[in-house]
Amino acid sequence: MTVPEPISLTEQMLRRRPVIGAPVAHGAGQDLKRTIGVLQLTMFGVGATVGTGIFFVLSQAVPKAGPSVIISFLIAGLAAGLAAICYAELASAVPVSGSTYSYAYTTLGEVMAMVVAACLLLEYGVSTAAVAVGWSQYVNKLLDNFMGFSLPAALSGAPWDADPGIINLPAMVLVGLCALLLIRGASESAKVNTVMVFIKLSVLLMFAVIAFTAFKSDRFAEFAPFGVGGIGAAAGTIFFSYIGLDAVSTAGDEVKDPQRTMPRAIIAALLTVTSVYLLVAFAAIGAQDWPEFDDQKAGLATILDKVTGAQYWGTVLAAGAVISIFSVTLVTLYGQTRILFAMGRDGLLPKMFAKVDPRSMTPVNNTIVVAIIVALMAGFVPLDYLADLVSIGTLTAFIVVAVGVILLRRREPDLPRGFRVPGYPVTPVLAILACAYILFSLRWYTWLAFALWVSVALTFYFLWGRHNSALNRPIASEAPVPGVDIIDPPRDLS
Amino acid sequence: MTVLVGYLAGKSSRAPLQLAVAAARTLKTSLTVATIVPKPWAFPSPAKVDGEFAAWADQVAADSGREAQRELEALGVPVEVQYLSHAHRSVSGGMIEVANEVGAELLVLGSSSNGQLGQVVLGSSADRLLHSSPIPVLIAPRGYRNPRGGILTRITCGYPGTPEAVDLVRRVEAIAQRLEIPMRVAVFAVLGRTMYPPEVSLHAEEAVLTEWEKQAAETLAQLRTDGVVGEDVLLQVVSGHDWGEALDDAEWEDGEILALGTSPRVGIAQVFLGTRGSKIMRVSPVPVLVLPG
Repeated sequence: MTVPEPISLTEQMLRRRPVIGAPVAHGAGQDLKRTIGVLQLTMFGVGATVGTGIFFVLSQAVPKAGPSVIISFLIAGLAAGLAAICYAELASAVPVSGSTYSYAYTTLGEVMAMVVAACLLLEYGVSTAAVAVGWSQYVNKLLDNFMGFSLPAALSGAPWDADPGIINLPAMVLVGLCALLLIRGASESAKVNTVMVFIKLSVLLMFAVIAFTAFKSDRFAEFAPFGVGGIGAAAGTIFFSYIGLDAVSTAGDEVKDPQRTMPRAIIAALLTVTSVYLLVAFAAIGAQDWPEFDDQKAGLATILDKVTGAQYWGTVLAAGAVISIFSVTLVTLYGQTRILFAMGRDGLLPKMFAKVDPRSMTPVNNTIVVAIIVALMAGFVPLDYLADLVSIGTLTAFIVVAVGVILLRRREPDLPRGFRVPGYPVTPVLAILACAYILFSLRWYTWLAFALWVSVALTFYFLWGRHNSALNRPIASEAPVPGVDIIDPPRDLS
Repeated sequence: MTVLVGYLAGKSSRAPLQLAVAAARTLKTSLTVATIVPKPWAFPSPAKVDGEFAAWADQVAADSGREAQRELEALGVPVEVQYLSHAHRSVSGGMIEVANEVGAELLVLGSSSNGQLGQVVLGSSADRLLHSSPIPVLIAPRGYRNPRGGILTRITCGYPGTPEAVDLVRRVEAIAQRLEIPMRVAVFAVLGRTMYPPEVSLHAEEAVLTEWEKQAAETLAQLRTDGVVGEDVLLQVVSGHDWGEALDDAEWEDGEILALGTSPRVGIAQVFLGTRGSKIMRVSPVPVLVLPG
C-alpha cells in the first residue's frame, strides 16, 4: 500500500503493466472452456481479413506495379502470415487478453505500448475510414445500377481526391450507423461472421469466374512495367487487404490444443485469403488492361459490367460488397474503441475513454469520439492516402510483435507459452525482414505522415500519459470500493 | 390506507392474494379485494339481454368474492379484508378508480398465466396498470406463495447507476421504513456480447464490465457518503452473462421484493419501465415493486 518511489524517466518508459485483475489468457485459466477448433478459428481469420481491402485495393495497387501486382499479393501475404504466427506466440505468452497494445505493455514497456497504440490507431481507426470510403463507392454503384442515379462526386468524394468532391457523405453515414449500433451494444455473432465469410468468398469467386470469360493473356505481356520497385510499392498498398489475419491469434486462449490448431488455422486462413486474392487479381488483370485500373471506383463491379455488357452481375457483387464491408466497418470500429478503452483504463489516455455509460453499459463517450474522428477522415481524406497509412501502421505493429517474441524468448525463456513459433528464430526474423521490405517501399510522404503521427503520440505520452499512468498509483487503488460488494461470478464463455 | 388486490373468479391465481396478504401484514393495514366487472349498457334492451348481462356480472362479482374469501380463510391470516366489486369498461381503469376510492397505498397484481412458473410476466391489464397507476404496483411471480414468516422481509432497490435515479433510492428507502424491513441497493450488470471475428480478443467486453462494476461500486459508495442511504443498507453490484444470471447471483431472501424505477424520460405520475427495467422484471425471482415516475 506504499506510494511508489519517484522513478527515472527511463524506468518510467520501460515499466511494464503487471498482470492483475486481467482476464486470464493462455492455459492458466481453468474456468475457460477451450472450444474453438481449426475451422472456427480459420473462419475468424478469413472473416476479419477478406473485405478490408480486396474490393477496392486493385484500383490503387495495379497502377503501381502493373500485372506483377500478383507478386505483390504473395509478398504481402507472406509478411502477414509470418507476423500472424509471431502474434500467436506473444498472445499465448502474455497472460492478458487484448490487443497488441496490451501485449506490448506487459512485455515491452510503457513507451513501446504507446508507439504500438499509435500504430493501432492507424490499423483500426484509419482502416475503418478507408473501408468506409470503399463502401461508399459500392453504394454509389448499387444506387446507379438499381435506380439509375448516383450521388454526385461533390457528395461522394474527398476534396483532395483525383476526382475531387467536397465530402464523402455515404462513408460518414456508414461510420455513424456503426457507431450507433456499438453504442446500443450490438455485436456480430460467430454465426453472422460465418455467413459474412460465405457472402464475401462467393461474390469474389463469382467475380473471378465471370472475369475469366474475358481473359486475354496479352494483358500480362508487359508484366512488370515499374520493375521491382513497383512490386514493392504495390505490396505496401496491398498489405492493407491482409489486415485482420492477426485476429486468429487473439482467440488463442479459447483454442483446443493451440500448438497444433493455431498454425493450422493461420496457414489455412492465409491460404484461403491469398488464393482468393490471387484469383481475383489474376482474373481482373486478364479482363482489363492494367492502365485502366487507375482510380476506378467500385472496381470489381465495374469490371464485371464491362466484361458482361450487362449490369446484373455487377449489381450482385456490389450488393455483396455493401453487406460485407458494413460488417467489417462495425468490427474494426469496435476494435478501435476497445483499444482506446484499455488505454483509458491504464491512464495513458484521459479517463473519459474508459467511462461506461450506465444506460447502455457501453463506452459511449469513447465510441462517439472515435466515430467523429473516423467519420471526418472518411469524409475528407482520399482513399489511397488512408490505405497507405493503415499499411505503415500495421507493418510497424507487426515488427514490434516479432521483436517482442525474440525479446521475450531471451528474457524469459521458461515462461509457459500456449503456442511457440515453429522455426524460431528464423520465423520472427523473416517476419521482420518481410515487413521491413514492404515498409521501405512506401512513399516518402506516407513515412512523413507516420513519423509525425508517432511523434504526436509520444509527445502526448511525455507531457501527459506518463504522469497519469495507472502505474503511478499504488496497486491498492485497484482494490474494491469499501462497503460495496461486487458479486462477479467466474465467467466462462459458452 | 389499504392494500388493493384484484381478483376474478376462474381467472386469477392464488399468487397475488398470497402476496397481498403478506404486504398488508407487513404494512399493518387492511386488505381490499376488488373484482372489476363489465359495465352494463346504459339503455334497456327489449330482449332483456341487458338484464341478463347485469345478472351475470353480479354473479361473477359474488363468485369472485366467495372464492377469494375461501382462499384467504384457508391461509388463516389475521388481516382485515373487505371485498368489493366495481363496474368499469376496462380492468385497469376500474382498478385505478377503486384505488382512489379506498385510498389504497399499494396495488398488488398477478403475472399472466402465459408465463412460466416463478416468472414475473405482465398480462395486458397489468401492463396498462403499470402505465397509468398513481400508486406503487407490486407484481407477483406466477405461482408465488406466502413467505414462511408471513411477511415481507427485505426490499432490494434495482439501481441503474444514473444520477437521476438517486431519487428512486430515496423513495425506496422511504418505503423500506414504512414497511419496517431492511433495504439493499443493487446495481445489476451484464456482460456485453462478444464481437466476432475477435480482433481485440474474445474478452474485450469483460474489461468493459469490470470497469463498469468499479464505476457502479463508486456510485453506490457515493450514495452512502451523500447520506442518501444509511450505514445499515447493503450495497451490491451483481453481474452475470445475462440478466437472468445476474439476478440469480444476487442472493434473495424468502419474502424479499425487488423495487424498480421508471424511465425518467417518460411521463409524470406514470409508471413506465425502461427497456432494462422490463428485462430485469422478466427474470426477477421475487415480486417486483414498480414505482410510478
